[in-house]
Amino acid sequence: MTGPVFAPVRLPLAWRWLGSWVWRLEHAFERARAAASPHDSRRRIALVMIAFGLAFFVMGIGATHQALFSGNSAEFSGASASPYARAALTDRNGALLAVDLPHYQLYVDPREVWDVQGTQQALAAILPQAQAKRLNKALTGTKRAFVIGGLTPDQRTAIHDLGLPGLSFEDDERRVYPLGNTASHLIGFSDSAGSGLAGAEKALDADVRKAAVTGGSVPLSLDLRVQAALEDELRKAANQFTVRGAVGLITDVHTGEILALASYPDFDPNNAGAADPNALVNRVAQSVFEMGSTFKIFTVAQGLDSGTVRLNSTFDVSHPLTIGTQTIHDYDKGDTTLDLPHVLLHSSNIAAAKIALAMGADTVTGYYRNLGLFGSAPVELAESARPLLPQKWSQNVLASASFGNAIAVSPLAVAAGTAAVANGGTYVPLTIRKVEPGHEPKGRRVFSPQTSQTMLRLLRMNVLEGTGGKADAPGFSVGGKTGSNEKVVAGRIDRNKLVSSFAAVFPADGPPEAKRYFLLVLMDEPHATKETYGFATGGWTAAPAAGRIVSRVGPLLGLKRAPVAATDKATVEAALASGEDH
Amino acid sequence: MIGFFDRRWRGFRVVNLVGWGLLAAMILGVYLAKTMAWGERNQIASVEIQIRQEKLRIRLLEAEVAHLEQPRRLEALSAGALGMAPIGPKQEIALDDLHRFERQKPIPAPTLAEPPVFAQADVGAPGVAAKIAVAGPVTAQFAAPQVTQQ
Repeated sequence: MTGPVFAPVRLPLAWRWLGSWVWRLEHAFERARAAASPHDSRRRIALVMIAFGLAFFVMGIGATHQALFSGNSAEFSGASASPYARAALTDRNGALLAVDLPHYQLYVDPREVWDVQGTQQALAAILPQAQAKRLNKALTGTKRAFVIGGLTPDQRTAIHDLGLPGLSFEDDERRVYPLGNTASHLIGFSDSAGSGLAGAEKALDADVRKAAVTGGSVPLSLDLRVQAALEDELRKAANQFTVRGAVGLITDVHTGEILALASYPDFDPNNAGAADPNALVNRVAQSVFEMGSTFKIFTVAQGLDSGTVRLNSTFDVSHPLTIGTQTIHDYDKGDTTLDLPHVLLHSSNIAAAKIALAMGADTVTGYYRNLGLFGSAPVELAESARPLLPQKWSQNVLASASFGNAIAVSPLAVAAGTAAVANGGTYVPLTIRKVEPGHEPKGRRVFSPQTSQTMLRLLRMNVLEGTGGKADAPGFSVGGKTGSNEKVVAGRIDRNKLVSSFAAVFPADGPPEAKRYFLLVLMDEPHATKETYGFATGGWTAAPAAGRIVSRVGPLLGLKRAPVAATDKATVEAALASGEDH
Repeated sequence: MIGFFDRRWRGFRVVNLVGWGLLAAMILGVYLAKTMAWGERNQIASVEIQIRQEKLRIRLLEAEVAHLEQPRRLEALSAGALGMAPIGPKQEIALDDLHRFERQKPIPAPTLAEPPVFAQADVGAPGVAAKIAVAGPVTAQFAAPQVTQQ
């Protein structure tokens, strides 16, 4: 019996190669053992130990580095991990102005809801602001759905206590403005996605987001105490004269810091969407006004600084000034000839126009440009408006601009320009950021220190015996200039609609580098009252409010009431008469 | 050195036993270290959560304080409930100027039928009565302030 004969099988090359590799591997240890000396074993062991040692060392270094410098420590630093988080805003003294607080979003999973109608009624009772349509859709849907966000902890607790199935919450940080309407135009507001939309919230958006990462806060230049006093007096004056709008602004003339900014009417930034659009307008930054006679501060300062006029220069104001078709009048005070101080004290349009015409368009516009009146006021606020400027600086326009017509600027621009008159002659940009003590902002020289000193005395004199008498605040040496301008409505001047203002510096005494503040009070369309004898001009409406404001904020700003003797009329007149300045 | 690698104990190489021992010690060490680290980590996490919650509570309280101290609210309360108003220049005085004010009217006589026992004892002490007379009641000193303008 013979079995089947198998022919030798020749495997493919790859299989043969694999087989020989496995065979060699199987016997590698035996071959090595046969060939190796004891020294080789030790070497191998040493090499393996070194390799493992190195590997552990590297891993140890990596683990240590990861533990110490991975950056995960921020996770527990108290900073918010939310990409929408915003740091708190505070005033210059640390008082809270805006902060992110925990809120909650309500979700409904209809698959877990037993009683749709009962749930709907219970939620509607607790959340009247919830949209019925959305709630109904969520309750009758097929999957978990969002109902409403921004729930307070109290609302969450109330809903939770209902014990209804299918309701759940998710964290939802919201921006809260605990001061309500206070400083609303300066603080501004942001949207639910954490983007600033107005005021400091928009202007300092990047800073606020950056500070949120580290858990810090962003201090503003605002002083809440000063702001409160300004708003209170402005509101009282606005109610007294039933104005269309009003503006209050206090700045530091040396640092450019905005210490208080009030625009009337105001709004609640917690519910900005429901605010009257008129109230949302930041009249300090967004609105431009023909300021009227407060511009004479610039005209007189320019005249003195350019050498065009001196303190003893006189002006014939006995007849109206006619330029082409335009005739310029003064309020009839029976004046015939005025010296320079009385041009300001009597607020003479004719004399102001003559000063501007004597300087010429190039000189006047050069000063205006240096005073920042040809552009939006340099401040972080996005609302800062550009001025309305004449297309051509003709003689008529030049004369009109000298007493605050023909050019419309924002109150912020007036503040920055007047600060340059009062701080020694340097134009300093405004800021809403807190400036650290000792920091001197960069500015550009516009007027000489002598011009600034003389202007301070003239402004003080105007309060002592000129149109600004009602702005005096005992011991704070208020200097300033009134302004009253008839508004142009539908292309025509409406004599019953005024923009009345008072631009003040306090204290006006002391050297130009002394601590000093600027205050602007502006009433848009004030109405005369019995107490004002039918007048609605700046001297009767804005100036008294300015005096009350200075009296209240002076002590808050660290100013000490000076004895009257140092600031009285005789002292100012003596200083001017000595001719030491011009 | 060779002896050490070849040395055996009950049939096992000593070097192997030492190696296994070290390995066991290392495993145990790593286990203990990780267990302790896990405990510490949990404790740290718990403290951090506590800190975060406290910070959140502080934020809430600060916001509540700011809300309650709204200048307008305080003004309305002080004017409505207490009849207060912003102070005027004549109501202000600097600390440095306090010495300028002398007592402007005599101290009112005590209205108590019988003065308290401690007062009797104090007044009886030498020099004490004079001190009390100079100090006077606070309201008397500020009855008609003259401010600093002189």
